[in-house]
Amino acid sequence: MLEGNRDKILNRLKKAPQDYPPGQPCSVFMPDENMDREQMVEKFKTLLEAQTGVLHRVKDKDQALEALAGVLKEEGVAQALASTDQAVADLDLPAWGKGKGVEITTHKDYSSRDDFKKAAFETVQAGITGADYGFSETGTLCLLASEDMPRLLSLAPIIHIAVLPLDRLKPTYEHMVREVFNGGAPPSQTIFITGPSMTADIQATPFKGMHGPQKLFVILRES
Amino acid sequence: MKIRTHEYMDIAREQLKEPNARAVLDFFPVILSAMRDAVYQSFEDPQAAIQACRDIRANAVARLPKLLEQFEEQAVRAGAKVVWAEDSAQANAYIVDLAQKLGARHAAKGKSMVTEETGLNQALEDVGIAAYETDLGEFIAQLLERPPFHIVGPALNVPTAEIRDIFLEKGVMEAPTEDPVELGRAARKYLRDRFHFLDIGVTGVNMAVAETGTIINVENEGNIRMCKSSPKVQVSIMTLEKVLPTMEEALMVLRNLPRSATGQLISAYVSMDTGPKKADEADGPEELHIIILDNGRSKVYADPAYRQALQCIRCGACLNFCPIYRKVGGYSYGWAYSGPMGQVLSPMLLGLDKTKDLYHSCTLCKHCQSVCPGGVEHPKILLTHRARNREKNPQFHGAGAPSSLEARYRAFALAASRPKVWNVMIRGARTALNQKKQGGMVKELFGKPEGWFASRDLPPMGRPTFNQWIKEYKKH
Repeated sequence: MLEGNRDKILNRLKKAPQDYPPGQPCSVFMPDENMDREQMVEKFKTLLEAQTGVLHRVKDKDQALEALAGVLKEEGVAQALASTDQAVADLDLPAWGKGKGVEITTHKDYSSRDDFKKAAFETVQAGITGADYGFSETGTLCLLASEDMPRLLSLAPIIHIAVLPLDRLKPTYEHMVREVFNGGAPPSQTIFITGPSMTADIQATPFKGMHGPQKLFVILRES
Repeated sequence: MKIRTHEYMDIAREQLKEPNARAVLDFFPVILSAMRDAVYQSFEDPQAAIQACRDIRANAVARLPKLLEQFEEQAVRAGAKVVWAEDSAQANAYIVDLAQKLGARHAAKGKSMVTEETGLNQALEDVGIAAYETDLGEFIAQLLERPPFHIVGPALNVPTAEIRDIFLEKGVMEAPTEDPVELGRAARKYLRDRFHFLDIGVTGVNMAVAETGTIINVENEGNIRMCKSSPKVQVSIMTLEKVLPTMEEALMVLRNLPRSATGQLISAYVSMDTGPKKADEADGPEELHIIILDNGRSKVYADPAYRQALQCIRCGACLNFCPIYRKVGGYSYGWAYSGPMGQVLSPMLLGLDKTKDLYHSCTLCKHCQSVCPGGVEHPKILLTHRARNREKNPQFHGAGAPSSLEARYRAFALAASRPKVWNVMIRGARTALNQKKQGGMVKELFGKPEGWFASRDLPPMGRPTFNQWIKEYKKH
């Protein structure tokens, strides 16, 4: 029913008087590019906390699990969904959870999309994922959707816990674009997350946890 | 949505007396504009960042047809289906058809100005498919059957008691509450099942990237991400000017959008789709449909004086800084787009004859233009609207000025171009005017304080006149 529209619309645009494009846009220097690692961590932490996010900085795998155990206990999490991406793979969360009395499943434990969605929307209290990038520029996490990184884990449960390897913390978004979007096939979805889901639509009263998570925890892992 | 742009003056008069509108308008735009100014200080050179965004938009619009072709090619390569729609009816019909084929019980919509423009909800409801607005503000506005009050806060003016009543009436919640957070929680709970069991999710598009075929959505609540993660079919509808050349340029625009819109460094969520989900992914859409909608834009594009209106990025900064918007609020503009961007856009899309009061309701203070990250010169376009309306522009349906006004201007032109006539008339006018002086000022001319005198007084005219004075002066 829409055949022929494309050429009609494009032809109208092409027939329009052509304008000389203005000069190339000036490039904007982001002072973040000059930051060293500690400055980046400090800025990332400040901006994350401004959005009520919580940062746990840990040295290694054991400390990461310790921090995770603390968050799960404090928030009373009995069931969680974990991703299987690189940043969390070596934590072997389902097996670890058994020892801690927390039932941790991954999307691969569900035979159908509907079962997985039911778990994400109704059963679990937390989603645990890795993060592919962190940006100190705005205190933002970047998750790349993939076979090992389902989209709903960082969205449907009321708590989101993300493990960010320190060497994935970058000053600006452009670092991600250079690595992910130049050549090759970009992921089906690239997600920026800055703090929990929020709104201020009723009487300008802000609160967290509108449709997505109400709380966001970041475990920043040095190795 | 019913188009009420021709009722501007009536709605504005009501809104000026409406206490809830007053309460919101007296503080919200002021705070938002202050937050915007403050958050721009995070750039080393804020003006350079705004200018970069303006240049990017201007460049993209100048190269529009080429970028659209490239975007389509790349999006298709990534696995998306791209279709082109001439108008609202075609775009709606495509979505309705898709939803019917899926046997969808309901559709959920992320906040999108363009589906407000096309009236998609009505089209879906006409065939018995419930359409849910999922942005909290849009959800409330939809239940109340009202247009958006503000582009980033569609229901900011609605008092909590009214939200409580409509939520109880429509079965959104059972126990009454007036607490904003509790009301939000009730909406979360109500919409959650709609997200969970969603067959088709509909979103708008903030930016489309030609180089990679990516579409980008910016939001705070997570409802758009829900519409792009849960259902098996995603439809994203974009007007044809949304395209940008590269990811780098899109990210520079992204740095400006939340800063200008909500005074945030970045919004809580930005999601960028390049094609549908891959086969081995657990969620995300199996089909991604992208509708490129014209709906009058190619006509705007072909017009050199109007083209720059397409550089708008829909941040709404112009609303917050507009002295008129701050008084009359969003309802007065009678359609999806309010404030200066509505005054610029609605006449182009609906016709100059149906939107007369919109483009006359401007003080030409240029504050909108000074803060616009798209580089739109709103006052210049509004003056063009006025001129074209008077010239009965056929393309944009200019109605011409009323004949009585034309006659008055002809008489004025006659007098003003003949010094002798002018001087006689001025002398007569001075006598008549100064006779009406009360307490040092002229407060009315024809018995009632109308027209000019509705809100202003005139000082009496001086004696001697300038001509008499200069004659005296030359004698010495």
